[in-house]
Amino acid sequence: MIATSRIPIAYGPAVMATVLGLAGCAPQSPKGVREIVYWTGWSGHEYEVQQRILRDFHRTHPRIHVRMLSQFGNSGYQKVRIAFAGGSTPDIMSTVWADELAGYARRGVLTPLDRYLRRAGRNVDREYTTGVARMLRIDGRIYGLTATTNTQFIAYNRRIFREAGLDPDRPPRTIAELDAAAAACTRYARDGSFVRYGIRPAGLNTWAYVFGGRWYDPDTGRVTANDPHNVRALAWLASYSRRYDIRKMEAFQSTFGSSETPNGPFFVGKVAMWQTGEWADQYIRRYAPRLDWAWFPLPYPPEGRPMTTTAGGSVFVIPEASRNKEAAFTFLNWWTSPRPVERFCRSIGNVPPLILAGSQPSFQRDPLQRFAVRLSRSPNSFGPPPLPFWPTYAREITRAEEKACLGGQDPGRLLDDLQRRMVQEQRRVERELAR
Amino acid sequence: MMKGGRHLRSRGSARARRDFRTGLLFAMPWIIGFTVFVAYPIGASLYYSLCEFDGIRTPKWIGLANYRTMLLEDELFWRSLANTLYMVVIGLPIGMIVSLVIALLLNQRIRGMTFYRTLFYLPSITPIVATSILWLWLFNPQIGLINILLASIGVRDAPGWLTDPTWSKSALIIMGLWGAGGSMVIYLAALQDVPQALVEAAHLDGAGPIQAFRHVTVPMLSPVILFNLVMGLIGSFQYFTQAYVMTAGGPQDSTMFYALHLFNRAFLDFRMGYASAMAWALFIVTLACTAIVLRSSARWVYYAGEEA
Repeated sequence: MIATSRIPIAYGPAVMATVLGLAGCAPQSPKGVREIVYWTGWSGHEYEVQQRILRDFHRTHPRIHVRMLSQFGNSGYQKVRIAFAGGSTPDIMSTVWADELAGYARRGVLTPLDRYLRRAGRNVDREYTTGVARMLRIDGRIYGLTATTNTQFIAYNRRIFREAGLDPDRPPRTIAELDAAAAACTRYARDGSFVRYGIRPAGLNTWAYVFGGRWYDPDTGRVTANDPHNVRALAWLASYSRRYDIRKMEAFQSTFGSSETPNGPFFVGKVAMWQTGEWADQYIRRYAPRLDWAWFPLPYPPEGRPMTTTAGGSVFVIPEASRNKEAAFTFLNWWTSPRPVERFCRSIGNVPPLILAGSQPSFQRDPLQRFAVRLSRSPNSFGPPPLPFWPTYAREITRAEEKACLGGQDPGRLLDDLQRRMVQEQRRVERELAR
Repeated sequence: MMKGGRHLRSRGSARARRDFRTGLLFAMPWIIGFTVFVAYPIGASLYYSLCEFDGIRTPKWIGLANYRTMLLEDELFWRSLANTLYMVVIGLPIGMIVSLVIALLLNQRIRGMTFYRTLFYLPSITPIVATSILWLWLFNPQIGLINILLASIGVRDAPGWLTDPTWSKSALIIMGLWGAGGSMVIYLAALQDVPQALVEAAHLDGAGPIQAFRHVTVPMLSPVILFNLVMGLIGSFQYFTQAYVMTAGGPQDSTMFYALHLFNRAFLDFRMGYASAMAWALFIVTLACTAIVLRSSARWVYYAGEEA
């Protein structure tokens, strides 16, 4: 009894060491083949498309083997945070949101890619659309590349436009026209509830740009939350809550949660205009194939910006802790070249961020795709500002919007307050990053 | 004698030591697990709470600054604490009363009781995320079943539930009642332990059903009520998943609960040190509330075998 009970004590550490040792070991691969680990944030259909594209890579690059692991959903993005904290990251990952890029880059956990890009003859500013290129550069250096991006525009129901006495071939171009169209399309039931409404514009982050505003000054790097244009944008968003009964609109709009199901309000003609993106196309094809619809870019006020859209998406980065940076870049360089980007975006319904990919016939044949590509190339395409605290800032912008639109609070005062708090946050983060 | 005794004792203690070692050995997986996965993180979080720590780079000692920021500058700290206290003070008692009432109903002797018991218990074993998504549909102001039912009985201005800051917390409390089955089974088990002799004696003395319930059943249930209260208290202070899945804290911060705010600070704002401080503040509040409840329990909890 006693003798046997001693054995595990003696063996315990050895067993433990073996287990830990195995876990720490790099995976074995055939001789001469370098294996790199790639974390992807895409799953399901998108994952399968990636697998197919990956097969092409393996065919042309027999000396690199990419092991792709899906880190899906919110927990996947948390796992990324923990991996960075522990320094045990994969060699490459696409699980960093554009919003978080500056936060990670400024904390020194990402490899600056400029040297690699130069050597490979790449030029991000020439290859990528303006908004995306701007988004990828943090403090003058490139920390990631993208294979997908999105656009924002308004889809509208042409039949409702005709019914409301509007010309379906001449959609609103200005804010005033949009307001008028929204009013014309809105119908109430006898009890005052909505039968249909025109539009419920949302997203102060985007509309601030439309109104000519901005969230930070690229020259000084300072926060500009209470830019007068931003205040005007927020006042306009809030005006919809005043003009239409906010409670009823909220109740009516809550079906928006189901905008990607067959009874989404736009699909069944309960909403005339839908602030959406190029991905709407596949849903409309699936759920409302007979819907007579078209699209127009976000209308703007006299001092505003035409063809405004936001840019974003998942960013491919090479962690500083990667032990196979060369191989990881070879893979990244290939992945973000026009052919794979074109194939990936076409299969998953995104807009290609590479100008060359967007020029391919596959994107130029379809009128909506052609429009989305043109919109994505607009000089007024804005990605997340390169601020290390942008996720916090973005959330606070949404809160201010809620307070103005639902709580009826004063837009000017809300954004002054936001400015004060974000200046404070910026000071705190910069102090923290300086040490 | 003395010598022999000492000899015996030393033999005994050698054996006790051996037994102790063997015991320790068998307990080792748990001791290691507890140390590595529980004790160390707890200790580390206390240390981090006194540091500026973004969750990535090395923490830097800043003393009590996180606690100061929390109490003096973070408006959402107070807002989220108030929201959470609402769930504790309003939601928890409602939940406890409802599960007790259901348990009383399910303690009757009628046919098919096991079926009803299963029925009421079932929701409490469905995953919270699935339940939450289901209730998102039920609460939909336009097409949700709840408002359709309300409309059918003539309620014209039905609430917007999760879209209305004045109703969002109530909606979450109502949803919580659906999972009352968990504490219900505990009440049910305790109800079956209430000695029938006592109830009959009360009836013989002329007590009505309400008096018998008030003076016999409730005192006999009191230890279980205490248990459910303490567990419910701790659970309510950690209220997170439903808000995370259904409302993300909105509308207008009305469902921004403490744990959700803490999570946002840690994982969205890169402020792990601050979030650790928040966790310790929550721990202290929970501990204080539990201590008050336990202290007061001497006055209202009856343990059989004690002097009444």
